[in-house]
Amino acid sequence: MLALQLLATGLVTGCALGVVAISFSLVYATTKIFHVAHAGIYTLGGYLAWSLVMSGIPMPVAVAISVGACAALGALIQSQLYARLERRRATHLVVLIASLGALAVIQNIIAAVYTPNILQFPLQWSSRMVSVGVVRMNYTQLLTIVISLIAYVGTMLFAHRTILGKRIRAVASNPMLADITRLQPQTVYVYVIAIASALVCLPGILVPLDLGLQPYNGVTPLLTATIAMIAGGVGSITGAFVLAIVIAELQNLSLLVMPGEWSIGVTFFIFVIFMLFRPTGLFTAR
Amino acid sequence: MAALAACLVACTSANAETIKFGGILPLTGPGALIGTAEMRGVQFAVDQANAKGGIHGQQVEVQFEDNQAKPDQSVLSFNKLTDLTHVSVIFTGYSGPTLAMAPLATRKKVLLVNAGAQADALAKASPYLINTLPTIGGEIEVLSKYLTGDGKKKAAIMFENDAAGMSGRDDYLRFFPEAGGTILAQEATQFGQTDFRPALLKLADAKPDVMLVAITAGLLQMAQEYKQLDLKFTVAGTTFFADPATIADPSSSGFVHTQLHIDAPPDLAAQFKAKYGADMEFFAKQYYNAAQIVLATLDKVLEDKQPVTGETMHDTLLKIGKFQGLIPLEFKTNTASVPLDINVMRDGKDVLLKEMKLQ
Repeated sequence: MLALQLLATGLVTGCALGVVAISFSLVYATTKIFHVAHAGIYTLGGYLAWSLVMSGIPMPVAVAISVGACAALGALIQSQLYARLERRRATHLVVLIASLGALAVIQNIIAAVYTPNILQFPLQWSSRMVSVGVVRMNYTQLLTIVISLIAYVGTMLFAHRTILGKRIRAVASNPMLADITRLQPQTVYVYVIAIASALVCLPGILVPLDLGLQPYNGVTPLLTATIAMIAGGVGSITGAFVLAIVIAELQNLSLLVMPGEWSIGVTFFIFVIFMLFRPTGLFTAR
Repeated sequence: MAALAACLVACTSANAETIKFGGILPLTGPGALIGTAEMRGVQFAVDQANAKGGIHGQQVEVQFEDNQAKPDQSVLSFNKLTDLTHVSVIFTGYSGPTLAMAPLATRKKVLLVNAGAQADALAKASPYLINTLPTIGGEIEVLSKYLTGDGKKKAAIMFENDAAGMSGRDDYLRFFPEAGGTILAQEATQFGQTDFRPALLKLADAKPDVMLVAITAGLLQMAQEYKQLDLKFTVAGTTFFADPATIADPSSSGFVHTQLHIDAPPDLAAQFKAKYGADMEFFAKQYYNAAQIVLATLDKVLEDKQPVTGETMHDTLLKIGKFQGLIPLEFKTNTASVPLDINVMRDGKDVLLKEMKLQ
């Protein structure tokens, strides 16, 4: 019973992390920017939705508005920060520091406006329980699994079946050639970060809907998602999503054999060993 | 004549130097609800004293700093208050931050007054640290005896991986078996964590009668997740459970905990509620009481025409020894002994189960 329940809890965490991982992977594989501010957008999405719900707006509308706002903020960061730095031939390190700065600004604004107290969504339905055999989950956890899977399938279809998706993959594959063939990489970068920001807003809302909002809670999921992206193979959407679930499951199931305070360390130690043998990741980017 | 008297009082007050104290408490972050209640308790007592003309005609001011319950932030705030504002007394709460400031208090001879934190290490952390409540060990000894006497002899421990939580864990490991119980499992959590499900599930798998808890933040989330998982064991803790939001939430119904016994007279509680729009909860009462102890000490220091320093405040407080504020307190050492209750959370309220005496 314990193993099954831990497996289910791990699946919920893993699915949410998976969406963070595929969104971060989209940005990194295409722009080569280590977009740390993504953690800030993740956090902001939850707070925006909370504000809208608190002002009486229905949850689906609040989610839609928050997703749109996050996409706009992502596009703004790319067009007004990263693009400007690239025009000035800034190194990757400078761009990373700028991204860290953007993250600090977003987190501090959130903390100043909302305080760092734990906030909860005032939605009774979110904590209603469903039992499937011996496994118990609340509505939010089920919703997290369903929406994350839809986000994953949707991203795969978008990347492989749409013109914009193919254009993004072309730019990610060879930006110089894409520029010569008038695919306008800079415009594509704006689209990519906007799409990734919209995607990351979903777990940014779903996780706090279950566990509460805190202004500085975006960095740990991003760190785990980054490891999933690298271990899954940079540029592989499936790799990032699957490895995020594997990491979350390992962290949860490790409780069966060791105390909880060791689970993160041991899980990442396993990945260090894994990367020594397969440094390009589990899945090959296509 | 009355106007002249009022003018004289006003002029005297204006000329008298304001005595400044400090408060380093979590006013934001996971500990903010408790920290704000603590701040209000101190401020309420000081405002009352100032409204009566101050202490020997001198007004008292407390400068509060927000430490978010973080030790590093507490040290920065401590240095700011002692080096820039030159305060002689600082009110503090939470074990980690207080333990971080204790060596500085010894070195700078600043009186630290703790009325909320309970890690065992606080008893001997600094001669300049005064604890107006006992350390957690005493409470856990009483709680362990109550639980085993109630037939709950198999326990699992959930503790926060910090000074207060580990101190609580060690006391459970010592006192619960001494009371005739058995510890089946233990799991650590992090301060500020809100996902307790994996730890709850693992502890539930050990099939305990009771889960002994030593966490200082995220209690409400833990209670909600416990309820969602439909766990059947009793949840028990110490005064850390005196979190108004958790008590008010239906998910905490049945939680048992020790509670330091402190009551406020109805008129005082009504004045507090009128001023802050909130009930005078446990931590507000504790810090109101602590502020009264400090003000009584200040009164004696000024009466003896001594300078108001951390050293004179410390020596005078221990010399007075016995205080009759909201509860009778006696300082045989720098840690007070007080009465204790066993409470159960029920229907959004904390209900008394049994009165005990903590030595």
